[in-house]
Amino acid sequence: MSETRFITTQALAELTAELLAAGTRVVAPAEAADGAVDYQVISNAKDVVLDERMPRRSLRGFFQPPTEQVFTWNRTDSGFSLKPVDLSTEPWVVLGARPCDAAGAAAIDAVMNGEPKDDLWMRRRETVTVIGLACAAMGPGCFCELVGKGPADTTGSDILLRPAQGGYIVEIVTPRGQAFVEAHSAKFTSTDAEVQAPPKRYDPAPMDRIEAWLEANFNDEFWQELSLRCLGCGTCTSICPTCYCFDIVDEPVGTSAGARRRNWDTCQVGLFTLHASGHNPRPEQTNRCRQRIMHKFYIYPHRHDILLCTGCGRCVVACPTGVNLPEILTGIAGRAGEDTTMGGPA
Amino acid sequence: MNVYEPYLMTIDDVIDETADTRTLRLKFQDESVAESFDFRAGQFGEYSAFGAGECTFCIASPPTRRGYLECTFKSAGKVTSALRDLNPGDTVGFRGPYGNHFPLNEMEGKDLVFIAGGIGLAPVRCVIWNVLDQRDKYGKVTIVYGARSVGDLCYKRELQEWSERDDVTLWQTVDPGGETPEWKGEVGFVPTVLEKAAPSAETACAVLCGPPIMIKLTLPTLKKLGFEDDAIYTTLENRMKCGIGKCGRCNIGHVYVCVDGPVFTAAQLAALPPEY
Amino acid sequence: MKELQDLARTLLSDGTVQVVIGWEDGPTGARPVFVTSPEGADKLIFDTRCVHNLATFLSPRRSHVARLGKAAVVVKGCDARAVAMLLRESQIKREDIVLIGVRCGGVQKDPASKEPLTAATVADKCTGCDVREPHLADHVVGELPQAPPNDDARERFIEELSAMPASERWEFWQTAFARCVRCNACREVCPLCTCERCIVDKTQPRWIEPSAHPAAIMAWQITRAQHHAGRCSDCGECARVCPAGIPLDVLNREMARILQIRFDYTATDDPEAPAPLGAFRTDDGQEFIR
Repeated sequence: MSETRFITTQALAELTAELLAAGTRVVAPAEAADGAVDYQVISNAKDVVLDERMPRRSLRGFFQPPTEQVFTWNRTDSGFSLKPVDLSTEPWVVLGARPCDAAGAAAIDAVMNGEPKDDLWMRRRETVTVIGLACAAMGPGCFCELVGKGPADTTGSDILLRPAQGGYIVEIVTPRGQAFVEAHSAKFTSTDAEVQAPPKRYDPAPMDRIEAWLEANFNDEFWQELSLRCLGCGTCTSICPTCYCFDIVDEPVGTSAGARRRNWDTCQVGLFTLHASGHNPRPEQTNRCRQRIMHKFYIYPHRHDILLCTGCGRCVVACPTGVNLPEILTGIAGRAGEDTTMGGPA
Repeated sequence: MNVYEPYLMTIDDVIDETADTRTLRLKFQDESVAESFDFRAGQFGEYSAFGAGECTFCIASPPTRRGYLECTFKSAGKVTSALRDLNPGDTVGFRGPYGNHFPLNEMEGKDLVFIAGGIGLAPVRCVIWNVLDQRDKYGKVTIVYGARSVGDLCYKRELQEWSERDDVTLWQTVDPGGETPEWKGEVGFVPTVLEKAAPSAETACAVLCGPPIMIKLTLPTLKKLGFEDDAIYTTLENRMKCGIGKCGRCNIGHVYVCVDGPVFTAAQLAALPPEY
Repeated sequence: MKELQDLARTLLSDGTVQVVIGWEDGPTGARPVFVTSPEGADKLIFDTRCVHNLATFLSPRRSHVARLGKAAVVVKGCDARAVAMLLRESQIKREDIVLIGVRCGGVQKDPASKEPLTAATVADKCTGCDVREPHLADHVVGELPQAPPNDDARERFIEELSAMPASERWEFWQTAFARCVRCNACREVCPLCTCERCIVDKTQPRWIEPSAHPAAIMAWQITRAQHHAGRCSDCGECARVCPAGIPLDVLNREMARILQIRFDYTATDDPEAPAPLGAFRTDDGQEFIR
């Protein structure tokens, strides 16, 4: 479903102020104390930043906080009691989600929604209205097109704002988006404005062939070469829109109470897979580097038919030693192309 | 629904199988859950020592015996040590049953060969009792079980029971050097004793669990005896947290041990990348 | 950088080393490269984008690098401070590595930047550099450039912070640390985080909770700052990698300033110089040990 309207910059700011005044939780890009832009819970419409600056981290933290309680417990003389966290969630709004970030959160739904349904994640997904913001320009690391996405992709957005003269062309994507626009209809007008899309940077990579190569090439000197410069810092996984791996820990308070928490975790550290016996199936960075690529471009698509990467490019810019996903994907595609046992056009 | 919320269980009994291996018998605190809870042999759970965390163990008691669950574990780290500090009457948590299961339906009418080493007997024991509790559904039952030493043999009472049954052929063994003067069983590694036992592979299945080295050396012996890779079942373990395929850590290639396993055939194992 | 390439080619072809760890031109700027054949030496570069501290690849935790064999590492004078610390702490042996010192006139904040080096673009760590001519090295290559442009922004900020009343300083750090997600990237990039099992990864007992809540974040940040006091070489990689933009280098510099005051010690590339918190002197100010 795709219907277009228009909203002026002014009207959008007023709409944001109205949402806040009504007590709605609004997450939008805003300046952090150090001047960089982060997605944040905003309290003032004036704080919203919708320019070319990309938020430094993805939206993941608003669906799965870096740490969240799962339940608390208490042990008294009268017995042991366990209190799960209240999962009820008020409808909330993300304003200014980059298409790669909106699509990233949607990609994770496949694993979280699968039986049994993880409501810690899904309750936030089911109550959010995502107002996406199409990109007027590509950032230094961006490669969304390489993985089949794009600067105006609508996946995961309920409404997509496309920057135009004086405001935004509004593309309504979902019924929820439709309902939102109707609820605030005075802010929106009709339009025949034209959108300027940024010039294409990449052709889509042959993801099917890449997936097939990955399945067939677990042991290949390719992994050794690529992993040498990797320090296993995991910064790629903490800023990524599609990373979701987590840890579960208990935090006791004294001897009679405590909380179980779910925390962000990363496949890039040895502790992730370390057995209590001391055995580690992924003992070296080479194994761990391989796991990240495998998970994103073979394991997840194999299981859920969705790529676990939306090409936001943050990892490209953030990696301290220049590990580069487009370079890796192109390298694999090249190897896949040369492999005549794999079928398909050479 | 909060899928990470465990059932509350009371420790009903504590049995020390060996110096470092303990069995806990657990009962559901909620009567309605106790009545309705069901599972299949091979499935596992996440057991909580509140304050320390959760640990993955198979359900070691058979589904044919209702009203309680058993788990058997070795003290290895934080959670197993904390579980070891608990006593009858204490509360633990249980999430499950998770994972796939041994295909007991497909095993009906077949001869069954159970091979286990050390604490690997725990998941196999679950199947053994499931089978013995429905004895006439299955053919011959052969058990080959070994441990490093006599002291390391798990479920000693049950080994005694099995040895006394005339519808079970039990071979017990300890590693060379692990025998005591009173020991009447075999002395030798499990694969060697299996070869001696030489169970027929015709209309038979093998269920195998133990330390990786034992599995590695037993598979060729089974092959030599004529067992096809898809008639050999084993159960894997890996570091787990969620147990339900969400936290992303227990995969071997594209297979998640917690949801696609923990039970695998030798054929499925052979297709997995060497990452476990 | 022909001199560097020629040297690398020689070291590899005569078998002195099996790998030369240096920099290359990558898709998004200068990045570490591992040259294992003489022909590969052509990839080696050195320019103002070579921000990284390659000493980190010598850390014993990088087993996947160690298996390549004996390494020659290209180090700026400041990187050599980290090598000196690794030697001092017996994490590596001097005879197991070859150090190729490179004369340096400062690096950018951003390894992707092709801008000229100015006060605005120069890395904070370069101000007041006294190791443009590397001291700890088996070979030294390159021409000695002029001193880096002076940008004392970080120094001034540290003075500002120190002059703040404690409550205001606390507020600053609380706000910065609130963004910490306990990703441990700072730890993983650091050449001097060499513990086989980091204290936050220990579970029996659990000294520091791994969760990203204020109490645990503060425990981690304080512990890390303490563990780095007197050891940090100020390569700034922790701050550069932090996905939350926490100014970790400022914290480490402040610890270094305190070490200077208390122990008259500054991080040095002399591996023989005793570490202030790892060695005892009879004229030590601490009474209790006498």
